[in-house]
Amino acid sequence: MITGLKIPGRKGLSIKNKIGIYNKMKYVYIPLISGGDTDITVAVKKGDYVYKGSVIGKRKGNLRIPIHSSVSGTVVDYEEKFVSNGQKVKCVVIENDFLDAIENEYENNDLTKYTKKEFIKTIQECGIVGLGGSGFPTYVKYNTDQKIKTLIVNAVECEPYITADYVLVREKCDEILETIDAIREINDIDEAIIAIKSHNTGLKEVIDNYIGTYLKLKLVLVPNIYPMGWEKSLVKFIKKTDYQRLPIEKGIVVSNVSTIYAIYEALKYKKPLTERIVTFTGENLKRPQNVMVKMGTSASEIIKKVGGIDNKDALYIAGGPMMGKGIPTDDIIINCNDNCILVLDNYSLDIETTCLRCGKCVEKCPAKLSPVLIGESLDKVDRLKKLQPTRCIECGLCSYICPAKINVREKVRKAKEILRKEG
Amino acid sequence: MGPYLKSEKDTSTIMRHLIVALIPIVVFAYIKNGIIPFVKGYTNIFGMFYPLIFIFICMASTFFFESLYRIIFQKKKIKEALENSYSFFPGLFLGLILPINTPIVLLILAAFVSSIIAKMLFGGFGNNIFNPALVGRLFIISAYAIVIGKSGGYLNSYEIDTISSGTPLTNASLINGIGTYNTLVKPYGSLMNFFIGTIPGCVGETSALLCLLAFVYLTYFKAIKWKIPIFYILTVFSITYVIGGMNNLGIWYPLFQIFSGGLMFGAVFMATDPVTSPVTPIGQILYGIFLGILTVVFRFLTPFPEGVLTSILTMNMFVMILDKIGSIARFNFKVTVVPFVIAWFLIFGLGIGISLNLKNVKKDKNFSILEKNVSGSKISYVVTQKGYSSVIKARIVIDNKKVYEFTVLEQNDSFYQKIMDEDYTNKLILDSDIDTVTGATVTSTALKTMLKNTLEDYGE
Repeated sequence: MITGLKIPGRKGLSIKNKIGIYNKMKYVYIPLISGGDTDITVAVKKGDYVYKGSVIGKRKGNLRIPIHSSVSGTVVDYEEKFVSNGQKVKCVVIENDFLDAIENEYENNDLTKYTKKEFIKTIQECGIVGLGGSGFPTYVKYNTDQKIKTLIVNAVECEPYITADYVLVREKCDEILETIDAIREINDIDEAIIAIKSHNTGLKEVIDNYIGTYLKLKLVLVPNIYPMGWEKSLVKFIKKTDYQRLPIEKGIVVSNVSTIYAIYEALKYKKPLTERIVTFTGENLKRPQNVMVKMGTSASEIIKKVGGIDNKDALYIAGGPMMGKGIPTDDIIINCNDNCILVLDNYSLDIETTCLRCGKCVEKCPAKLSPVLIGESLDKVDRLKKLQPTRCIECGLCSYICPAKINVREKVRKAKEILRKEG
Repeated sequence: MGPYLKSEKDTSTIMRHLIVALIPIVVFAYIKNGIIPFVKGYTNIFGMFYPLIFIFICMASTFFFESLYRIIFQKKKIKEALENSYSFFPGLFLGLILPINTPIVLLILAAFVSSIIAKMLFGGFGNNIFNPALVGRLFIISAYAIVIGKSGGYLNSYEIDTISSGTPLTNASLINGIGTYNTLVKPYGSLMNFFIGTIPGCVGETSALLCLLAFVYLTYFKAIKWKIPIFYILTVFSITYVIGGMNNLGIWYPLFQIFSGGLMFGAVFMATDPVTSPVTPIGQILYGIFLGILTVVFRFLTPFPEGVLTSILTMNMFVMILDKIGSIARFNFKVTVVPFVIAWFLIFGLGIGISLNLKNVKKDKNFSILEKNVSGSKISYVVTQKGYSSVIKARIVIDNKKVYEFTVLEQNDSFYQKIMDEDYTNKLILDSDIDTVTGATVTSTALKTMLKNTLEDYGE
């Protein structure tokens, strides 16, 4: 059984509007960070001219993946800026010349002509990473000796408020399905499945219009519960199987639908990952909208573009309301793992009262933890180990459901921290 | 720090649902113990409102004691101390699970034990190990049983006059053997009376119907740990179904068991008290099963027939262990094998063991009834009993529990002359407890047992 809970979606704020485009920033700040790793070799220096798509850095270590410039212009400086994980990260500042000049003309390839080797090479060179939030290099998932039996494309987007994947599928459905089928063909995958939430009937209609041409492609509707988009829940629901660490153990690869679109652009045009759709939404935002944002743009500029905020006392959140992080300023730099900037009223949090041991956090935990017991055992390491808090995916459902308004997730995080220190 | 989206339901939502679920039960307690006796002329106008006054005194007392404790020991301001809205809850439950004839002084004492000793000394709401209301009840029921009994016990003024046999389970415990429909259910009407709740018992715990409705309501609004009552009641049902089946009793027997002794009320309201019950699903299931097992043990194997509340207090002690099993079971289901095997073993073992035990009490293998002719209250038996060297056959006539005739029809015992000399059978008619005949001990004992067995059959 899939554990989860129906929670308010609040997607109506931004779902109807078309995808906006924002190109007017004078400077972009390309963060020298990749998948949380800041150990990056910088390839440009002050005064260099860069094209849109020029490599300006490369991640060191095993997972080598390049970082590209998202505009054409001149490198003017290095500056430390906030990114969505709350860290200040060194960024390459590029002054935009508004020409969008590219070094080589975009190609126009046939997606199916790729061999597996070329496919891996292309998505690696184009810097494709998981756009669902992980920022993990995508090529690694496909570069496996194991036979991939099933490709699951995750378009569930269970986090409230966010509609980036929804509008992308709505507007680029044909391209996405074509890419999924091509990836399936190239990697010799038996079946490919695209998963959306069952109540998204509008989206289902759009997909139904196109899917007929792809015989080995299947649409699966998943229940409208949170966190249905979590890989483990998705694999369990669709393939009725469990895995330990990665879905590839069962011959399954899960990719986010925005990643698929990035792969489309990489395969079709050899276009590197330089922009993505970000949902700008929240009750405190004048005109909530999805915007195609170039990496390195400051969120504050786009918030201005979508009408600014209603109430000065705003609460900025990078990501959705459940898993997102509160950020101190709206001047944060959008990077590939950001799918949403949420602006709410700065409401005072509920006062925590005594735990009445109702057991709801245990009942609802999708990772099958016992959060209340973890919270009670913070001073007992042996007991804590048995409760396995390290399995926590930080979905926040325990804090959401708690009738005593206790921030249970924070306690589980603390427990993880304690165990990490213990080794 | 997120999440920035929170459920609208809070602790007070749960408490509100609990109150809504309890309202019909309080109203029913008022009708059964106040209005009906008043309408039938068994009590005055004060007696009519007494059930409500009774419950109110309990609620006011726990509220008062807890507030006082907070003001004195926790140095809270009066307003702050009063704002804790759940302090009347133990009192409300206490009012529903005590006999209506409990003297008011004892009510207040029970409230004191509940709120101060069982709750505040453990650290207040959320920290108590034992259910406060049950601790309060246990204290006065065990320490002042005689006082409560003398003032009328469990029966309200109407029931005292119309029902002669105490609560159904007390009645059941007095019967030799397992009993029959006529001896267990008939004195109180039919099973329907058990279901609706018009049977003797504590103030608010008799109506199985209202408890079921409350259970459905609370489960729908996700306000209780529904697994506990389900597994609790199912376990009691299963064991007593086996017991009933092995004694050739109908489906009414397990129903009688789950509708009596406040089992429904205890299962739905007391066993699910969130603070004192397990938080893990497997823990809750095991908790329910073992509550059921304990209740059956208390009912059949101890002198305390009303085992529900005692079982809950006992199981309160094992919550931590059950949660330990329950939390590990979430990753590794194997750890549940041992407790579940033990549970299954106990369920069937108890069912079979208790029935064999009851059969032994009831059935004397050496005794059998050949004929039984009923005319009004007079029953004429032809019975046999194994004697010393032969089977003795006799006619016994009983009317209104009095023996009228005891004639030995056939026998071939060696020392029977001694019996004849002593006129032992006629002596037995006058005093069924008379000493046996020296020189013919076995034969005289057989005759004595024969009469006892026949009288027992008549009693049923």
